[in-house]
Amino acid sequence: MEYHNASAKNGAAAEYQNMCIESKHNDLHKEDSKDSKDSAGADKLAHIEKAYTTVLSELGEDVKREGLLRTPLRAAKAMQFLTKGYKETTQDILNDAIFDENHDEMVIVKDIDLFSLCEHHLVPFFGKAHIAYLPNKKVVGLSKLARIVEIYSRRLQVQERLTKQIASAISEALEPAGVAVVIEAVHMCMVMRGVQKMNASTVTSVMLGSFNDNSETRKEFLALTMRK
Amino acid sequence: MDHSKQTQYSSNEKKDAGASSSVLNGHFDGMVKRPAGGTGRAAASQPPGAESSSHRPAASVMESWREERTRSVEDNEMSLPSLAAAYTTILRGLGEDPQRQGLLKTPWRAATAMQFFTKGYQEKIIDVLNDAIFDEDHDEMVIVKDIDMFSMCEHHLVPIFGRVHIGYLPNKRVLGLSKLARIVEIYSRRLQVQERLTKQIAVAITEALQPTGVGVVIEATHMCMVMRGVQKMNSKTVTSTMLGVFREDPKTRDEFLTLIRS
Repeated sequence: MEYHNASAKNGAAAEYQNMCIESKHNDLHKEDSKDSKDSAGADKLAHIEKAYTTVLSELGEDVKREGLLRTPLRAAKAMQFLTKGYKETTQDILNDAIFDENHDEMVIVKDIDLFSLCEHHLVPFFGKAHIAYLPNKKVVGLSKLARIVEIYSRRLQVQERLTKQIASAISEALEPAGVAVVIEAVHMCMVMRGVQKMNASTVTSVMLGSFNDNSETRKEFLALTMRK
Repeated sequence: MDHSKQTQYSSNEKKDAGASSSVLNGHFDGMVKRPAGGTGRAAASQPPGAESSSHRPAASVMESWREERTRSVEDNEMSLPSLAAAYTTILRGLGEDPQRQGLLKTPWRAATAMQFFTKGYQEKIIDVLNDAIFDEDHDEMVIVKDIDMFSMCEHHLVPIFGRVHIGYLPNKRVLGLSKLARIVEIYSRRLQVQERLTKQIAVAITEALQPTGVGVVIEATHMCMVMRGVQKMNSKTVTSTMLGVFREDPKTRDEFLTLIRS
């Protein structure tokens, strides 16, 4: 029965899917009217809550015991929070914070704490993102770089795709001379289960523009961010 | 002395006692529809008659090692399809498309992962411990520290991870060292609350060895506080349980706490 209900949402889901793959389709989601969105939202929450109740009982737990009474609701809300990036777009947060500035030296924001969910196991991965760009007449408010990280990380993600989405978003918004994004993260799906390697971390990077073409620029960025 | 300490503890936990005994009841109710794995559970439901009544409250409070729930490997296999279906619903509810390539097998992977994170329900302390208790004339403190621990918050179903430090003063019986870590694994791979986890580990060691004293300290990071909610990246939660001489003698406690910090 769950499948019948779920199939009605595929249309909406497809739109979110477009959004999460390509940052270009930023304006797609704005069509929903606020009312239908709210009731659809409550509806979805109820479905997720019911699914979590099934999960708990299938794991052999007693859903009626005190500690678990409201867990399905809390877990559903937590999951919605952890995937709230689907509803946000770069345009919303960036539009008013791009400034014309005659600056063409490297701007770096590093050690941005990042929390995401592995799309393969639905288990968190977290770490730090380091972002650099070479402005081309336009600079962006610094916290907006961290907000871009938030938008794309609060989704079901793969670290490679996350890195590229952040880099593309900044590239499209600012048209800078170059963008570099490095993410270093620990994946709980590797630490808590599976191969169980406590200290392994995964590093991915995307270099666009002069960071890609010019090895000196790249070296400067890496020297400034990877310094311990 | 240890027994009295235990009952004193358990009488403080009368509230939990009701909830925990219904845990076992609720668990059995939920499992009734699957007759295949019946034998293990039937054995576990009878508290051993030989135990004194003072143990009964401790047992019901702490789901102690004689009355472990026993989810079996067959149970896991049989619940996998409904777990996977539930996860598919969750994916759709979040607005994702479960048919896209990255998410195609995610419901099964997430379901198996969740079963792994709660595999403590499948294991019994008695299986892990029985052959590794040795008679040794040693009465100095034994500490196993920095045991990596991974658990699941029972309120948000989000990971908790940290380190466990265990110390005990043997009373003629010592335990294989890795068995302390295995006790941590059994109790942490469940839906947990850090306070309860700490106490369960301490009580299990006490019941197995009857040592002069046990101390357990857990230092953990709760993803439910770090990734969501109040979002404090660097916060840690520390809980401790001191039983026996660790509780009564401040010098013993001090020695334990100093040694785990170094």
